[in-house]
Amino acid sequence: MADELLEVENLRTQFDTDEGTVHAVDGVDFSVGRDETVCIVGESGSGKTVASESVTKLIRMPPGRIDADAVRFDGTDIYSMSEKQLRQVRGRRISNIFQNPQGALNPVYTVGWQIVEAVQMHSEKSDREARERAVELLDRVGLPNPGTAVDEYPHELSGGQKQRVIIAMALASEPDLLIADEPTTALDVTIQAQILDLIREIQEDYGMSVLFITHDLGVVAEIADRVVVMYAGKVMEKGDVYSIFENPSHPYTKALLNCLPGHGDLMGRIGGSLPSPLDPPDGCRFADRCDYVREECRQGEQPPLHELDGTDHRVSCVYYAPGADPSPLQGDADGQGSNVYSDGGYPDE
Amino acid sequence: MATDTDPDRIERFEDIDWQATEMRGGLSAVSRKAFGLLLTLAAVCVFFLYDYYLVRKRKPTVPVIEWDVSQVDWMFMVTLAVIFFYVLLPLYENPRMTRYYWREFRKNRAAVFSGGFLLFVFGTGLVGPLLLPKPEIALELGYQPPVFTSVSNNYPIQCVGEAANGRCFGTFQHPLGTTGRGKDIFRLIVYGMTVSMQIGLITGLIIITIGTIVGAVAAYVGGLADEVLMRYVDIQLTFPTFLLYLLLIYLFGQSLFMFILVFGVTSWGLIARLVRSEALQRTEEEYITAAQSAGAPNLYVIWRHILPNVSSTVITAVTLLIPSLLLYEAGLAFLQLGDPSIPSWGQVISAGRSDLSFAWWISTVPGVFLFFTILAFNFIGDALRDALDPRQTTQE
Amino acid sequence: MSFKTYVAQRLLWTVFATFIIVSITFLLLAASPNAQVSQFAFEAAQNPGTSAEEAREAARQRLGTNQPLWERYTEYMINMFTLNWGYSQSGGGQLVTERILNALPYTALYSVPTTILSVIIGVSIGLYSATNQYSRFDYAATFFAFFGYAIPNFWFGIILLVIFGAWLGWVPIIFQPDVPWLSFEMLKQLILPVIVLVTAQTTGLMRYSRAEALEYVEAEFLKTAKAKGVSSYRVITRHIFRPAAVPLMTILISDLLGLFIASSLLVEVVFSIPGLGRLTFNAILQQDTPLVLSTTLVGVMIAVFGNLLQDISYTVLDPRISYDSRE
Repeated sequence: MADELLEVENLRTQFDTDEGTVHAVDGVDFSVGRDETVCIVGESGSGKTVASESVTKLIRMPPGRIDADAVRFDGTDIYSMSEKQLRQVRGRRISNIFQNPQGALNPVYTVGWQIVEAVQMHSEKSDREARERAVELLDRVGLPNPGTAVDEYPHELSGGQKQRVIIAMALASEPDLLIADEPTTALDVTIQAQILDLIREIQEDYGMSVLFITHDLGVVAEIADRVVVMYAGKVMEKGDVYSIFENPSHPYTKALLNCLPGHGDLMGRIGGSLPSPLDPPDGCRFADRCDYVREECRQGEQPPLHELDGTDHRVSCVYYAPGADPSPLQGDADGQGSNVYSDGGYPDE
Repeated sequence: MATDTDPDRIERFEDIDWQATEMRGGLSAVSRKAFGLLLTLAAVCVFFLYDYYLVRKRKPTVPVIEWDVSQVDWMFMVTLAVIFFYVLLPLYENPRMTRYYWREFRKNRAAVFSGGFLLFVFGTGLVGPLLLPKPEIALELGYQPPVFTSVSNNYPIQCVGEAANGRCFGTFQHPLGTTGRGKDIFRLIVYGMTVSMQIGLITGLIIITIGTIVGAVAAYVGGLADEVLMRYVDIQLTFPTFLLYLLLIYLFGQSLFMFILVFGVTSWGLIARLVRSEALQRTEEEYITAAQSAGAPNLYVIWRHILPNVSSTVITAVTLLIPSLLLYEAGLAFLQLGDPSIPSWGQVISAGRSDLSFAWWISTVPGVFLFFTILAFNFIGDALRDALDPRQTTQE
Repeated sequence: MSFKTYVAQRLLWTVFATFIIVSITFLLLAASPNAQVSQFAFEAAQNPGTSAEEAREAARQRLGTNQPLWERYTEYMINMFTLNWGYSQSGGGQLVTERILNALPYTALYSVPTTILSVIIGVSIGLYSATNQYSRFDYAATFFAFFGYAIPNFWFGIILLVIFGAWLGWVPIIFQPDVPWLSFEMLKQLILPVIVLVTAQTTGLMRYSRAEALEYVEAEFLKTAKAKGVSSYRVITRHIFRPAAVPLMTILISDLLGLFIASSLLVEVVFSIPGLGRLTFNAILQQDTPLVLSTTLVGVMIAVFGNLLQDISYTVLDPRISYDSRE
């Protein structure tokens, strides 16, 4: 584990609302290695976006509250840093791309102004140099006519172009880690593929690690090295991409995979909805929607992440507890679609 | 958001049903309301004609209680009739809706206190002048301090209450003291409540009426009429009403009637804009199209569908407009440019201004009442806006 | 439509609106039952080169000849637009324009610092309140806003004057116009009017800037900025303030216009400052028609051009505005 770039231990993010405290992320561990792409997968409301934004504390506080046992980046605990030190990490070593390019750019500044700000934030470049760098970055992310685009306002660009601008901004200081939160969800399908290609390209060029947040298992299959499956603020299952797809072990992961076209029932869906984040139920968070639910699933805490065959593949499910028999879950991995589709789907974050 | 509050909305706007059902014929509850209002207005008219033709000028209209009905009083009667038939009566007839309002309203404690205070001011202003004689000048009673306080014996000519150690103490005879010319401040405050309520309610009604009509017509007729009306609104909004009023009182003399008329007739610009934009949005909505395709006449559509829907916006805007009217009135009264025959709070503040260093109460008491009245209108307006703000859902 | 055409169009509209407004004043003057006033309508139509006495004489003659309304109107309009506003009847035969020019500096004396202070204080408190919503500071600021709005400023003024002028004797009760402008004495006598007006002005600005900034505190682009490593101070000043400034501009100017027009009159009367407001007030008391008319028109013109300025600044500030969609 020494070669991990980012290690997050027991991350908890809560929001104080009028109705009570929302436990958006409730004790989550994950890590990202160097040059590696890790995907966090889950449906809307699973807390994956909040988890990704908690890494560099981008969450508004208040109403948010973030706590973790440790968040180590390149060996140093960034959670024990002062706000000022953390600012040196943000944008310089860890960059973010957000889901909605429409809202992620400030409407009253030119694209160039916003990239220049990112450049100058972490370098001593003069205005002219920073502007040149901005044009260079825009060119790198494949924006047509970067020389003129630099003086345009966000409303003059298309959604895909905006997302390219945001990526350019994220690249300004050549970060070590790129956190991409559903960067393609708000875009047209054709544009989605282009943006995804771009991210993969720059990852190779710059030698970056990527933490990729998505609900789209198709995307996961394409880019991930490792996968973390989240549900209702908890990690259900994690492992390398092959073992997750080959051998999905948690009933939730199985159900998710069943939702992919070409798997099991056509458009099979998971019935029911997420448990209330205000007052999460005892036991496994998925228990209410699980076809294999047992008495012990509704007791105590979320089951620990049990190791599967001594590999890195871990599953938070009582069927995989040491000595338990996971066989009831096997066999009919395709037979999950019996529940009626009811979930409104994604995305709403 | 629009969909899940719709049932409440429909329920809520039942009270501003206007005479919609009249067009369908039949003497339903709603047309009874309109009928009642017309009857009352007719009675006021007869009364007015009687006053105009049969009672000589400067003679009391109703000799028994020495009441010479003024222009403002006439307007106030009409306003009260409208409020009775279109606010109180519907609230009484729809107890379920009234309870719903109360539940919603109760959530905002500041607004509840404000509402209570305004109701008190309104009630006292309505009944008070009938029970209490008009404050009269009585020079020998000048500078009486409020009860529980005292003033140096040098100031009052004659001390009504106890006088001890060279100080004159207040009595319950003049619970809030008297002005330098001996007018009882308690009575002045009560009479001032009437004035404030008249300004707020009559002007409010004028603004609502003109603003809504202009806005709805502009939106519904469209074309040249829309253009001309809205251009006019542009000019009117640029023209500072305060200065216009200064010019007008200079040219035509000052009176409360003039104040209400000028501010009523020139302050509806914003309301008209609001109604217009809201009505334009509404006309796009399906139920309007449905009503039109069902053969409902334009007027009917405006009356029945558009007005009830804009009423919440309009009422909120007017509630927030009233305090500035009260401030203007007080300011003008303070400058001696108000109606000298009307005992408004601003006049009392003005009267006590030069005595403030020893007779602090003369200016302070009406000032405090003015302060709280304005505060109350603001709290209620804010609470209404929070509850009904359409912007919250439309922002990107 | 280009920016230039837009400005030209607005300018034309402003001229047109001015024309209408001046015409209305003429109609009001002509319709006034006050004999002295309607006489003025003729005087104003008279060549202003002649003295007040001559003008009055000529006017009386004209009154008899009953010059057609249309001719009176054209002359009146020409005089008004060429700033031939005649002589003040109460000021010892001074030109009206001269009296206005003499009064203006005194209005500027307190309104310039008031404007600067209330914009700075109001906007920064509003922004801070918005970014720290529901904090104790926010509640205190909201309370202050309600207080400042609800307290009648003339009343607030006289109470301050009694406390600090009469009782404590820290400031003079009557404004001394001949004190040197850049002196401690001047500062002392300006403090109270500025406090009163700043209290009134700040509250509106504060509440509006808070409301506008609240539209942006949850905006996604703030997260982008934060992710770049931008400090929270810079987030507020650059990323929230700038977009919020666009709608704020509208309110700012109309609020400040309110100050010049209504509040200044009250405050100048309370503190006896010989500015434009007091000039208007005295003109009304002394039945000085040319002066009343002119001071009113100056106020109206300030409002009209303030509106023009507001529209233009709006388009300059917001790159998203397309000129065609604005009226």
